Order: sequence, then structure tokens, then C-alpha cells
Amino acid sequence: MAIVVSTLNNPWFVFLAERAAAKAKELGYESKVFDSQNNTSLETDHFENAISSGYDAILFNPTDADGSVINVKNATAAGVPVFCMDREINSTGAATSQILSDSYSGCVTIAKYFVETLNKKGKYVELLGLVGDNNTWNRSKGFHSVVDHYPGLKMVAQQSADFDRNKAMEVLESILQANPDIEAVFCGNDAMAMGAYQALVAAGKSDKVKVFGFDGAEDVVKSIQDGKIKATGMQFPEVMAQTAATMADQYFKGKRDFPKKMPVAVEMVKKDNVGNYAAYGKK
Amino acid sequence: MKKTIRYVASLVLVAVVAYNSVYFKKLDEVKAGTASFDAAKYAAEFWTKKLPPHTTKAIKIGQLLTLLQTDKDKAFADYSHALGIGNVKYFLVKGSGTVQTVEENQVLVKIESEREKPEVIVATEYIFGNAVRDASGEIDIDEFTNSMDFNNVSAEINKIIREKVIPPFRSKVKSGDKIDFIGAIELNKEHLSTRSIEIIPVSLKIAD
Repeated sequence: MAIVVSTLNNPWFVFLAERAAAKAKELGYESKVFDSQNNTSLETDHFENAISSGYDAILFNPTDADGSVINVKNATAAGVPVFCMDREINSTGAATSQILSDSYSGCVTIAKYFVETLNKKGKYVELLGLVGDNNTWNRSKGFHSVVDHYPGLKMVAQQSADFDRNKAMEVLESILQANPDIEAVFCGNDAMAMGAYQALVAAGKSDKVKVFGFDGAEDVVKSIQDGKIKATGMQFPEVMAQTAATMADQYFKGKRDFPKKMPVAVEMVKKDNVGNYAAYGKK
Repeated sequence: MKKTIRYVASLVLVAVVAYNSVYFKKLDEVKAGTASFDAAKYAAEFWTKKLPPHTTKAIKIGQLLTLLQTDKDKAFADYSHALGIGNVKYFLVKGSGTVQTVEENQVLVKIESEREKPEVIVATEYIFGNAVRDASGEIDIDEFTNSMDFNNVSAEINKIIREKVIPPFRSKVKSGDKIDFIGAIELNKEHLSTRSIEIIPVSLKIAD
């Protein structure tokens, strides 16, 4: 099995890839991890390599909801089934199945807590992930489907930080110059939440500004315990990786009727329930 | 003269090419929803046609709470729905009870059941999430091209509840009222807590 992952520069995706490889091994298959480095052209090269090298299935974490479709179609046309993990492609027929976190619903839950915590008023910033990724918009839209009902909550800036910690720090530092009176930051992933928190520490505002993330990464779970981050949406990458590898195994054994999309529930983690969770959904 | 015309023509050409090559869009306009899908229409049909047959079969909340204590697995297997994998499941429930307090965001109700008389929260402010969409088990995610369409359905269903169910109830309800309710609840199978069950209402009636 080829495991093609959007980036190994983020520990969350490293964990996803490792778990997929571990499950493949457990099921008796060889696997190799390919890092697309958030670059769709590099991803195309990996797909071409995987197809020509004779891999029998691709467990895939796409770089771009639209840009990755062609890679999936090429693999499928070559008889190689593709199982998408965590990130969606904008085509129902191309992949054999897509196992996706229910990001929208997770962010609806976080947003409700966000509104309650801010008591329906205050200025806030939203840091978006990669603009070509559906998860970015599923999370943002889930968040705004709640927050936008409250006119007292004013979004003073909405900028992309590409799901990247350093970029989030730089972006928020810049935003803080013009908006020193914000009360909260909603981040589309935990890496950006940690970057935002660093920027707030540097500006001496970490006690006043509430940070909300998404993913359930190790440092954020610990930061919730320490009271530094308010909440995150716990995803279950191991469940997604194991389901993808198991589906590939079932495919090799003749199964063909897979659900085109398999949502995986996201659970909100905050101070009063953080004891139930460890990083990446582990217990 | 000819040179001037050529320069002007070249400049116009460059300007036209440049104008048509660069587009500026606000980030929040770049949304992945399918333009052809009408979530409001889908939600309206769900509300009037697909949901009613399921609400009549909703489990009594007292019965569900008892079953959760005695046989959690059976309660989840027989009465919950969820579209995918995970611990979060949704139930359609019904019941009657007495309003304890009317708060800014919710109404606290002591329900009538044979054994205990637990309190539940009827949400009147935060009508969000997928509880009503998913609790019936009626919607299939494969019907949708991408998940944004599917998510928009939830938002539209919740809008119907905010506009049709909440206002007539909220304007009249007061402490001590007897009410009948049908609604959807969310429970986490792995980390089950029945201490503060929140009902997203589908139907709310104040008894005369």
C-alpha cells in the first residue's frame, strides 16, 4: 500500500501516516509513506511512482480538494483503489471511499462554546487553513454558522495561515498591531492555535485572549490542561487510518460496495473533559 | 502617427490581458459548496415529508434514560443514529414535563417518567448542529456531491426550527407550564453523561 500524505511537516499527519502503515503491516501488507509537502505537483509524481511501481492501493491524504481529483482518477483508471483519509476531494466517484472527520459539526460545537465563553460579544480573529482544502471551509463554515448569529461578535480579521504554526504566529503578530483589543482567536487547526498562542505570549496578551483550535494535537491537549488554550476539536486520525487500511484489505479480498463518504465524529475537548482524552484521540 | 496608434493599441491589449488575468476574491467567498444544490429546498422537504413519520416513533425520554442505565449498548443500538464512525450518536425523543425555569438560552424542564423525574434542557437559543438532521437516520450522505452541501442542510433545518418552533413557544412559556416536546439529543457513547441532556426541539406545545 502506498500512503501519500499532504505534509509530514505537521505531527498530526505524521501520526496519520504512521497509523496507516502500522495497520497495513498488521494486516500483512508492505507500505511506503510519500510526503507531498503540500504540493499538488509533487503529489502527482508520487501517484505516478506508486502506479508504475505496482502498489495495489493508495491510502491518500490529499493536498487540494480540486487539484488532487485528477491524481485519484488516474490511479482508479489504472486499477489502483484510492481511500482518502481526513481530507476530501470534490468528486464522489473518483475515490473508492473517503473517510473524513466531520469538521463542520466539530466546529459548530466549538463555536457554541466560543459564543458562550465570550458571552455573545467581543472582537475576534479567525485564522484559516489552506484555502484549497475543503476542511478549511468546513471548519470555517461550521464556526460561522453559529457565531454569525451574534452581531455583538465582530470578526476584525480573517486570514489564512496555511495550517502552519510559524505562519500563524507571524499573521497574528501583524493583526495584533492593528487590533490590540481582540478577545479571541479561532484557528482552523491546532498548529495555528499554538502559533497564535505564541504570538499572544510575545504581545503579553495570552491571559486576556482566548484561543480555540481544532485537531486534538498533543501540545494543545496539554495546553488545555494548563489553561492556555480554551478548546479544540478532537479528531481521530487512528480511526481514519485504520479504516482506510482495513477497507483496502477488504478491497483486495473482493469487496466493492464501500460508502463513498464515511464521516468520523469530532468531539470537543475543554478543561472540564480533557481528562477523557489524550493526543490524537488516544485514551 | 502610425507608431502612436501601435503603442496605444499595444497598451490597450496589455491592459485587457492584465485585467482578465487577475481576479480578487474575498477569502470567505471561496467556499466549496455546490452552486446547483438548494439546501433550503432540501431542508423544507425533509421537515414536511421525511421527518414527521420518525417523530411519531420517537422514544419517550424517561424510557431512554432508564434503558441507558440498564443496557447502554441496547439503547444505542436500537434508538440512535449516526451517519459514520465515532462516539457521537443522535436520538429522537419525546416527553412531557413541567417548566422549572425559563432562562436566557434555554428552558429547564422536569420530565414526567415512571421512575425518576430528571431535568432536561430544552434549547431555545443555541439551535445548531446535526442532531435533528441525523437523529431520524433518514438522510444518506451519498446523496451529496460534497460535504458542504450536506452541512448546509443542517443549517437550513436549524433555521426552520429557529423561525417556526422557537418563537411561538418562547413568547408564552413560563415557569410551572406543562409542556409536550419532541426533539433530538446528542449523546457520546464512550463518555456518556446524562446529567445535562439538551434537546433540540422539533415540536413544543404548552398544555392548556
